[in-house]
Amino acid sequence: MSGDITLDNVSKFYGEVLGVNRVNLSIRSGITSLVGPNGAGKTTLMNLLTGLIQPTRGTVRILGYSTEEPEKLFHLVGYSTQFDSFPKGLTGYQFIYLYLKLFGYDSETADNLAWRAIERANLTEAAHRKVAGYSKGMRQRIRLAQSLAHNPRVLILDEPLNGLDPLARAEMIAMFRSLAADGCHVIISSHILHEVDIISDQVILLSNGYVVAEGQIQDVRNEIREQPAQILIRCDHQRQLASKLIESGLAIEVRMHEDSRGLLIKTADADHFYLALNQLVKSGIDVESVIPADDDVNSVYEYLIGTEGAAV
Amino acid sequence: MRRAWLRQILAVIRLEVKKTFFAKRGLWIYLLALMPLALFLAHAASITYQNEARARLATHNQKPLRNQDLASISQGMSREEVIKRLGKPPSAYSWDEPRQDESGPSHVVVHEVYHYTDGESDLHVRLEDGTVTGTELGQSENLGENTVIFAGVFQFFYLRLAIFFGCLGIFMNLFRGELLDKSLHFYFLAPLRRDVLMVAKYLAGLLAATVIFVTSEALQFLALCWSFDPNLLNSYLYHGHGFAHLAAYLGITALACIGYGSLFLAAGLWVRNPILPAAVILIWEALNPFLPSVLQKISVIYYLKSLCPVEIPAAPGTPPLLALLISSPEPIPAPVAILGVILVSIAILVVSSRKVRRMEINYTTE
Repeated sequence: MSGDITLDNVSKFYGEVLGVNRVNLSIRSGITSLVGPNGAGKTTLMNLLTGLIQPTRGTVRILGYSTEEPEKLFHLVGYSTQFDSFPKGLTGYQFIYLYLKLFGYDSETADNLAWRAIERANLTEAAHRKVAGYSKGMRQRIRLAQSLAHNPRVLILDEPLNGLDPLARAEMIAMFRSLAADGCHVIISSHILHEVDIISDQVILLSNGYVVAEGQIQDVRNEIREQPAQILIRCDHQRQLASKLIESGLAIEVRMHEDSRGLLIKTADADHFYLALNQLVKSGIDVESVIPADDDVNSVYEYLIGTEGAAV
Repeated sequence: MRRAWLRQILAVIRLEVKKTFFAKRGLWIYLLALMPLALFLAHAASITYQNEARARLATHNQKPLRNQDLASISQGMSREEVIKRLGKPPSAYSWDEPRQDESGPSHVVVHEVYHYTDGESDLHVRLEDGTVTGTELGQSENLGENTVIFAGVFQFFYLRLAIFFGCLGIFMNLFRGELLDKSLHFYFLAPLRRDVLMVAKYLAGLLAATVIFVTSEALQFLALCWSFDPNLLNSYLYHGHGFAHLAAYLGITALACIGYGSLFLAAGLWVRNPILPAAVILIWEALNPFLPSVLQKISVIYYLKSLCPVEIPAAPGTPPLLALLISSPEPIPAPVAILGVILVSIAILVVSSRKVRRMEINYTTE
């Protein structure tokens, strides 16, 4: 059994409408975020990963299993979809318990697993209330609880933090991190970029059905050579340093930072810049810190996709 | 593996049965199933009332009457002769009619109607100016006739319409309803083979349809028997074909649910609008008697009709097309007919399972 999630030349067309095209991915364990504007193909990709839709071309394998083998696949995979609909007339507990019974669990096991998932989602008090009466945040949490009730090794979550209050968001993020630390694959789609930045080990950027970048966010940033790197330098003699940087030709642009406590530098060659900066520092300027200013998801997203559809 | 499938099938049935039995949108199915029951209950209540009225009237006879006595009254007899044979009528009414003769002056004609009964049959005697002008001897309800009426209602309403549309409502919704409710993905995200899911859903639908329609059919039979004399009923049920007929009707009902259930489950997978497949299948089933014998076999009604225990005789003067419709097909041995329905259903389910395996969740297009 392979330990990764792989998509090999996967395309999906809805008639003549493109869903995703020629996607080649290998997703390792940890938290992977799918980022892209609405209609980029995030949900399509997640539905392909779970066999809810079939690829027009290519193959998808999850830990070695084909999506055409649900009886094996879904012991390992949990998927919290964006569909805000539930089977009618069920309480939160029944919803998870009966879903677990579909796995073939006996009543006692299903009951134990259901309660554990409900507790993880902080829904114990509401467990015997009808799901139809839940708030949006509670419905989101019960979906999350259901997707991880059977302890999957791959958790696929479509906009999992939508509708959650800040406390619940923090709890969920902590839970995703703990699952990732245990070796699970956690795949999250989100358009809230600062959250993606906090959560993700790696990102997959999608635009118009194509994967435009993938990997760790810093690696992705480094690959974007046409965009000069932005570096924030906190130091005491900003003007002196600025003139030296311009003289040396290392910086394309030097600006005073908004808080007037540092310089914001743009450079075409970050590696060379860092080496040269060491020499400049030796000349008596006291540098407090050197921080890359644009190797976050937000910047990468803006460089590769633009600002359309991004919520920061 | 099979044990796990069994558990999964039971879990699906548990989820589905609740939805099928208690869904508000399925209320019309109960009405459809109970319609003939209401008809037979009303009929039985009316017969019981008539029998009681007749028995009450018979106690007012001047002398005990037999059916032969009632039949002996004929046109042309005088009032006195009638009263001499049957006694004073226990129920009678009269009215006067002024009549203008062509040649002479007007005079008043006295009309009378006498109502006699022996407790089982009714005799109505019409008299004009003391002379019998007509008689009407009505027999009480006849069990044989009623079983033919029951067979007619079963074949032409219950089987072809009630069960047909009931199965349409139940089985087409198994997948289509969940697509409309946007909840099918919960099943598709469970470690459950899609064909096992389809079988489980079919069994859940079958359970609901069978319980609803078989129960209604049994109650209809009970309602049919309710108004009859216990001795007559006893001989029909235990010494005639009563119980055999009941078993046949219940079996045919269950087989109809099996056959139409598989057809409509398949239709729900391929077609979005239920009206289209319903119309096509209804026409196909209705045209069955007119089809070549090879094509006749590709239908549910062909097998079910040949299993029906009571043949419905075509009344003289029935149009040839209608006569053909009510005629029984070439008799098929019961085991072949039963096996035929089951095999047709299995074939449909096998084809459907391929469709379910390739089915995609795309609620936005629903």
